[in-house]
Amino acid sequence: MSVSTAPETDRDLSTHVLSAPDIPWELIVWNDPVNLMSYVSYVFQSYFGYSEAKAEALMMQVHKEGKSAVAHGTKEKMEAHVVAMHGFGLWATVQKGGGRG
Amino acid sequence: MAKAFNAGRRGITGFLETAERELLRKLFADIVTMLEPDTPAHEDPLAALIGLDMDVTPPSDPALRRLLPDAVRDDADSALEFRQLTERSLRETKIGALRAASLDLEKEKLVLDPEAAKHWSMALNDVRLVLAERLEIRDEDDAERVHQVQDWGDAEDVESYLSLVYNFVSWLQESLVQAMLAQLKSTS
Repeated sequence: MSVSTAPETDRDLSTHVLSAPDIPWELIVWNDPVNLMSYVSYVFQSYFGYSEAKAEALMMQVHKEGKSAVAHGTKEKMEAHVVAMHGFGLWATVQKGGGRG
Repeated sequence: MAKAFNAGRRGITGFLETAERELLRKLFADIVTMLEPDTPAHEDPLAALIGLDMDVTPPSDPALRRLLPDAVRDDADSALEFRQLTERSLRETKIGALRAASLDLEKEKLVLDPEAAKHWSMALNDVRLVLAERLEIRDEDDAERVHQVQDWGDAEDVESYLSLVYNFVSWLQESLVQAMLAQLKSTS
């Protein structure tokens, strides 16, 4: 019966979409009242190699909006970044990318 | 009084009084003690090599938890799994930076190359994260409350003393980071 096969197709499709390797992950840096704005900017410049302007813009987004997605890419890369951010003492998490990328 | 860090041709230089060096040495050592794992490295040499630690649990001390935060939000299982794979090496990274900064305090003159400056900024930041947790700095208002305590003559209890130490370490880190940013600018 066609009714029973239709959901099956949907499930296959959604599994495929979720596990597709090109779905970007993102690194989120969260605001906190302790880390210095200058230090956050330094970390973004020295670790990611971002320009001063880009680092400042991301830092201000963290400060004003409470968080910022500062890097996008594969799960493995974002996981390496989150460990590095924790090494610097920044409050960071990894998550599957939202509607962007 | 300590002098602000300064970026020059030979690197970043700083000056600290003996009492300030002693204070920093103690703070760095305290945090190294906090970060040292309770259990020895895994008996399996391969697991030890990659820093795998299946027995790890999220720290119960909120200050330690701030140093070693969850890497995944709203998903305790994923966060724990990630912690098992990475927490031990993160502890080692932090201990390495704190020990390197502590060693620099032994020298007569404080002259930091970029790597040493990075270790110092990380070490000072970890000190501030721990003090902030003890001082219950949760938002910008709390930070401002602590910032108001500036006079060492006001050091009458543990909280005011910790506030003064926090403000000193914050000032020192800010001056160091400004010097590091100036150096980044001159090399780019």
